[in-house]
Amino acid sequence: MRILIVEDELRLSRSLAKALREEDYAVDTADDGEDGLYKALNYDYDVIILDVMLPKLDGWQLLEKLRCTKPTPVLMLTARDTPRDRVHGLDAGADDYLVKPFDLSELLARLRALIRRASGQSHPHLQILDVAIDTRARTVSRAGQGVVLTAREYAILEYLALHRGEVISRTSLYEHLFDENDDTLSNLVDVHIFSIRKKLGQAIIATRRGQGYCVEALGTSTTH
Amino acid sequence: MFIHSIRWRLLLWFGILLVVVLAGFGTTAYQLQRINRFHQIDQDLERRVGALSADARIGPPGRGPGGPGGPGHTSPDGETRRREPGHDEGHHGDWTTRPPDESDRPGLGPGGGSTRPWERPIRLSQSTKDLFDSTSGEVYYFAIWTRDGPLLKGSTNLPTGISMPSRPGRETTMRTRTRGDLREAFHYSEMGECILVGRSIASDLESLERTRLWLGAVGLGILVFSLGGAFALANQALRPVDRISAAATRISGGNLEERIEVNTHSELGQLAEVLNGTFARLEAAFRQQKQFTADASHELRTPLAVIIAEAQSTLARPRSESEYRETIETCLDAAQEMRRLTESLLQLARLDAAEETLVTIPLPLGELVRDCVDMIQPLAVAQGLDITAEISDVTVEADRLRLRQVIINILGNALHYNKPQGSIQVSLMVDEGKARLSVRDTGQGISAEDLPHIFERFYRGDKARSNQEGRSGLGLAISKAIITAHQGTIEATSELGVGTEIIVRLPAAPTSTQLR
Repeated sequence: MRILIVEDELRLSRSLAKALREEDYAVDTADDGEDGLYKALNYDYDVIILDVMLPKLDGWQLLEKLRCTKPTPVLMLTARDTPRDRVHGLDAGADDYLVKPFDLSELLARLRALIRRASGQSHPHLQILDVAIDTRARTVSRAGQGVVLTAREYAILEYLALHRGEVISRTSLYEHLFDENDDTLSNLVDVHIFSIRKKLGQAIIATRRGQGYCVEALGTSTTH
Repeated sequence: MFIHSIRWRLLLWFGILLVVVLAGFGTTAYQLQRINRFHQIDQDLERRVGALSADARIGPPGRGPGGPGGPGHTSPDGETRRREPGHDEGHHGDWTTRPPDESDRPGLGPGGGSTRPWERPIRLSQSTKDLFDSTSGEVYYFAIWTRDGPLLKGSTNLPTGISMPSRPGRETTMRTRTRGDLREAFHYSEMGECILVGRSIASDLESLERTRLWLGAVGLGILVFSLGGAFALANQALRPVDRISAAATRISGGNLEERIEVNTHSELGQLAEVLNGTFARLEAAFRQQKQFTADASHELRTPLAVIIAEAQSTLARPRSESEYRETIETCLDAAQEMRRLTESLLQLARLDAAEETLVTIPLPLGELVRDCVDMIQPLAVAQGLDITAEISDVTVEADRLRLRQVIINILGNALHYNKPQGSIQVSLMVDEGKARLSVRDTGQGISAEDLPHIFERFYRGDKARSNQEGRSGLGLAISKAIITAHQGTIEATSELGVGTEIIVRLPAAPTSTQLR
C-alpha cells in the first residue's frame, strides 16, 4: 500500500512517514501543496494524508483539483477542529478527517479502513481458498495454521486480495508497494510472488501472461 | 412593568397634559359662555330697571309726559292722579301693577295721604310696558319699594317672598343678585326707592348646563381620540426600539452577523446605525480573537502531534538506543517550540491586558541598538550578510529588556528573510522630537497584499516559512504591542525583490544632560 503524506511541518511528516513505513506502507512525502498535487496526480496512491494549512496550495485547493481526475481516498489532517471545518472537509471530497494531535493507532486504523473501503471490502478478514488474511493484525493463515510472510510478501498478497478479481500489472503492483525512495527492481515482485506461492500454494495467485497477477474473485475457478 | 414602559409613561403624561389642557379650555369656554349669558341677562334687566327708574322719577304730578295713554282712566291702585298712565296695563299678559299691600302701609288710604309724597302712583310709559311684554319671550317682573321698605309697585307675577335688597350706604349704582334661579337687577334712586327687575333664569341655567355637558362630551371625545392617536404614534415611534432590542438580543445570543434593519433617518435610525457600527467592530474584534485562538491552538497542536506520533511510534516496538535518542530529540525540539509559543502568547496576553509592567528608565537607545547589532553580527557574517549601522545618541524612556526584544526581532527578521550576500542597514536618528530606528534589508520583500497584515498575529505572507527555525508568527505582533505600550509606532515599507524597511518611532526623552 502506498501512501502520500502532504504536510509542511517536517518533523511531523518525518515522524509519520517513519511510523507508516514500519507498518509496511510505502510512503511518499510532499511538504507543500503544489508538490503534493503533482505527486497525487502522477501516482496511484492508496491513501493520501493531507494537511490543510499548506504553503503554495492549501489542502482544500489541492483536494478540489485532485477530485477533478482522481478518486484517491483522502484523509484530511488538520488542527482545525470546529464542526464547520469537518463538514467543509468531508463535503469538499475528503474521505475522512482527523484532528491534530491525533493518536497514531487511530490514524493507522483509519488508513486501513480507507484502503479497505476503497477496494470494496468492508471486512478486515479476507478469505482466499483456504488462506485467511487478517488485515488488522497483518497475519496470514492457511487451513488454520499460521504462515509467516515477509512484509513485502504480505503487502503484495494483501493488495491483490483487496483487489481480487482484478488483474494487477507488475508495474502497478510495484508502484503501490514501493515508495519513491525505493530503487528495487520491478522483477523483485516476481520473486515475492514466487515466495508467496511456495508458502500458500500455487492456486492463490494466478498469472495472466503479459498482463499481470490476479487473485480470482469469489465463485470463479482458478485457471493457469 | 407597566409603569416602566416608555410607551405607557409617554401615554400617561400625554393623557395628563391633555386632560389639563382640555379641562382648562372647557372651563374657560363654559365660564365665558356663562359670563356672556349673565351679562346679556343683566343688560336686559338693567335696561328695564333704567326704564322703570325713569318712569318712577317722572312719577310726581305735574311734569313730564305722562305717557300717551288716555287720561281719566283710573289706575288699579286707585290713585286718581291726572296723569294716570297705563290704560291698558291689564292687557299686557301677566304683568300688571299690583296694588300695594294695605297692610304694608298702614295709614295710607287709597287715593289719600299725600303726607308721604313718595307714595304715589307710578305710571309706566308705553316703552317700559313694551319692555315687560312677555310675548317677546322672557317673562320679567319688577318691584318698586319706597325708601322705608313698603312695596310701592310690583308686577303681578312678582315671586312671593321677594324682599327689598339691602342697601349698602347710599349706593345708587345698578346692582344684581341671584336668588335661586331668579336673577334680579336693582338700584336705589336718589330718593331711596328701590327699583328691582328680575326674571327666572332657569332656562338659561339649563342651557348652560347643556353647554357644560356638551363641552364635557367633546372633551372626552378629543381625549379618547388623541390618546388613541398617541398610542399609535408611540407604537410607531418605538417600533425601531423593538427592532433594535430584538436584534441586540439575537446578537447577544451569539449571532454576531446580525444587524439592525435601518429604514428610518430619525434619531432612532441614527442610533441603529451607530449600534450597527459598534456591532460590526465587535464582530471584527471577536472574529479576530477567534482567529487568534484558532491559530494559537493550531500552532500548539502541530508540535503536540509530533510529540504524540513520535512517542507512540517509538513505543510500538523495541528500539535501539540511537532511535530512542532521535525520538527524544524530536520531542524535545517540538516541546521547545511549544514553550516559545506559549511564552509569546502569554506575553501578548499580558500586553493586551496592559498587565505587562514596563520598567522604564531613561535609556540610551544608541547603546542598546549597537549592542544588538554587535550580537547579531556573527550570524550575519555567517550568512555572508553585510551590516552597516549609523547610530546617533538619543535617549528614550523605555523598558530595556522589552525594547531589546523588539530590536532583536526586527534584526532577526532582516537576517532571516535576506538574500545571500545581501545587506542590512541600521540607522538611528532623531526626527521631529522622536527617536527613529530604521532597519532595512535586501530580502525578497513583502507583497503589497501582505504588507498591511504583517503585524497581525500569526500572519505569514508565505506560509512556506511557517514555524520553522523558531519563528512563531508572533514576533512582529509582540514588537508592535511593546512599541505601542511605549507610545511609539512601528511601520513597514517594502518592495518585492528589493527589500523591506521597518521603522520604529519612539518619543525621545528630554536630553540626557537635562536628566543628569
